[in-house]
Amino acid sequence: MTAATAAAGTELDLPRMRRERLEKLLAAMVAQGIDCLVLLGQNNVTYAVGARVPAAEPARAAHRRPVAVLTRDDDPHLFTAFPEGAPSELPADHVHGALAVEWDVGGRALAAIVPPGRVAIDEYTMPVRAALAGRELTDAAAVLGSAKIVKTGDELECIRRAQAINETAMPEVEAMVRPGVRATDLSGRFLRRVFELGASANTVDPIFQVMPPSVAAGPYSGTGDVVFPTPTRARELEGGDVVWVDTGINFEGYASDLGCTWVVGGARPHHRDQFRRWRAVVDEVLAAVRPGATAGDLVRAAVPAGGWRPWLPHLYLAHGIGTDSAEMPYVGTDLGETFDDSLVLAPGMVLVFEPVIWDDGRAGYRAEEIVAVTETGWTMLSARADAPA
Amino acid sequence: MSDRLDRTLTEMERAGVDVLVLGREGNARYVGGANRLALAGTRAFAPGCVVVRETGAVHLLSGTDEGVPRDIPPDRLYPLSWNPANLVGAVAAAPGARGARRIGVDGLTPLFEQLLTGAFPGAELVDGEALMHRVRRVKSPEDVAAIRAAVRVVEQAVGAVVEALRPGVTERELLGIFEEARCAQGATVTAFQAAFSVVDAGGARRFVSDRAVEDGDLVAMRAGALVDGWEGSLARTWACGDAWAERQSEFRRWHTAWPPLVDRCRAGTRVGDLGAHEGVTLHGAGLGYEGLGADAVLEPHMVVELELEVDGIVGADMLLVTADAPEVLTRFG
Repeated sequence: MTAATAAAGTELDLPRMRRERLEKLLAAMVAQGIDCLVLLGQNNVTYAVGARVPAAEPARAAHRRPVAVLTRDDDPHLFTAFPEGAPSELPADHVHGALAVEWDVGGRALAAIVPPGRVAIDEYTMPVRAALAGRELTDAAAVLGSAKIVKTGDELECIRRAQAINETAMPEVEAMVRPGVRATDLSGRFLRRVFELGASANTVDPIFQVMPPSVAAGPYSGTGDVVFPTPTRARELEGGDVVWVDTGINFEGYASDLGCTWVVGGARPHHRDQFRRWRAVVDEVLAAVRPGATAGDLVRAAVPAGGWRPWLPHLYLAHGIGTDSAEMPYVGTDLGETFDDSLVLAPGMVLVFEPVIWDDGRAGYRAEEIVAVTETGWTMLSARADAPA
Repeated sequence: MSDRLDRTLTEMERAGVDVLVLGREGNARYVGGANRLALAGTRAFAPGCVVVRETGAVHLLSGTDEGVPRDIPPDRLYPLSWNPANLVGAVAAAPGARGARRIGVDGLTPLFEQLLTGAFPGAELVDGEALMHRVRRVKSPEDVAAIRAAVRVVEQAVGAVVEALRPGVTERELLGIFEEARCAQGATVTAFQAAFSVVDAGGARRFVSDRAVEDGDLVAMRAGALVDGWEGSLARTWACGDAWAERQSEFRRWHTAWPPLVDRCRAGTRVGDLGAHEGVTLHGAGLGYEGLGADAVLEPHMVVELELEVDGIVGADMLLVTADAPEVLTRFG
């Protein structure tokens, strides 16, 4: 891993970021005829209001979730168990105690404050669903998606800084890699370093997966494809192990995504050859990245005529990143060619490329690189991937 | 068939639920026992696990049997898809699911509601989260053993933090020490982001900062771990250096209030009556956080976490409820 390219110190204005995001959401509500936007998803509340809550396993997160209610002509209302995470510019009379939306009482309390008109909601608990029965409800995905898919400059800077923390932590973890070290000890060093470096949260169990040489030598695969990712186990690394790394942290609500490949005891020529082929795929795809290009164009750039699609078929060639670790735009998913051809790149979209080179019998190489689409092409938000050392 | 699945099927029978479609990882882990990649934060509903009453079978969203118990054979695994219709298609294709009249879901989105209603015309969607809550709240001896194992992990990791609690160490560094000490025991997943914060006018803050601890500071510690999905968590307030004696008076209200609160966590107590006490929070714990409504009444073999915060002093323990005084599972300190 080369040193982080994302230099901290570039201007970051969090109140401006929150204001611009809210303006985009309100514009999308107007355009789509939505009178009230009700958000129960933690990352969506983060996007709409900038509220921070401690990261937690999903059940705790659900029970202690923040809720946001947006209307077109008022500041957003935030309901949270963690008022210290509310943004300072939100008027005090718009920051309320938590709504217990896991229970009927909370569902009714929420329904009582949702004004008449068309309501878009991202998800509901069953008590919320019962309390809103009879209301005109639509899925908030369209409103959220249209606002979130293009990032503001401050959002890009948050992703860059999240990624810089992630990248700065990783060399110290890689330095531990040798036969006899347990994969979970790599997780420990990684988590320690990212918090020391200023991470707001860790959002995924860090993945240090020892890959089998062939699909057949690995765990059962429902599709015949490479099995990845699986949870990191407390197994000791052995010389020659190929380790696929995938980690993601959070900085001010924005996710990082760092994938790379290590070879325990040192890479051999075929490992470096796999990296060269991976590099060639990404370079081909990057040459196609510009405003107006479609996700389909990127897929075609990655796949030589009639060739194997060099990524994990249950995942994607690329995904977006923002307040969610994977979000639109998705490129090369099982949504298929028509979907890919309909997705047009625009400045401010972010793409995390994660192709895979796999030589069945000799494992493979996987890494990730993040770019933002610019007016003329793209700019890196991550470091460039390295050949295995 | 596992005891947990058996209890789930019994409750499905009682509630007349033909199929359970579960999106919450704790629910899925309870019925299926599978260890899938852990993610933090709320997740919008998607069908990650299906239980069919007619067959008694659990079907799991997984591309592999890695981490999946042997009693779920590969033909009961369905693959990830970015097309929600494919996931609902997998639910409908589960043997015995097709004619379901009543489907329990533990959450929904407008889109999945539409797709499920389309795939199961005429079926009623009911609250599967409430059903799972009833099943999960009382713990078996195996459940309690798993929680005890998680408690040992978090206690050891908090011990490493206390060991490192010296003037000059920052809150962030303490969090880092906790993370590394937890992972050293093979437990890479946290129950929640731990907080180690110097108690000040703001009380026990939930987010760590770059603040350095000074001699005489009180540090509020909230920490948890998941081990095989089971939660161990606790909270303590610790003094840095030789400050215990001089700051003892600040603990007085906490120490006075705490023993009677613990004592009241016994069978028959209404949760809302305990929760009405200033600074008290009470919830269940098992495969992660389990909510308890104000009207819930404690029963033997429930495991709860009781927390009290007074004057910035915070303390929390996990308790095994009995007919008498509870067994305190977290003995740290």
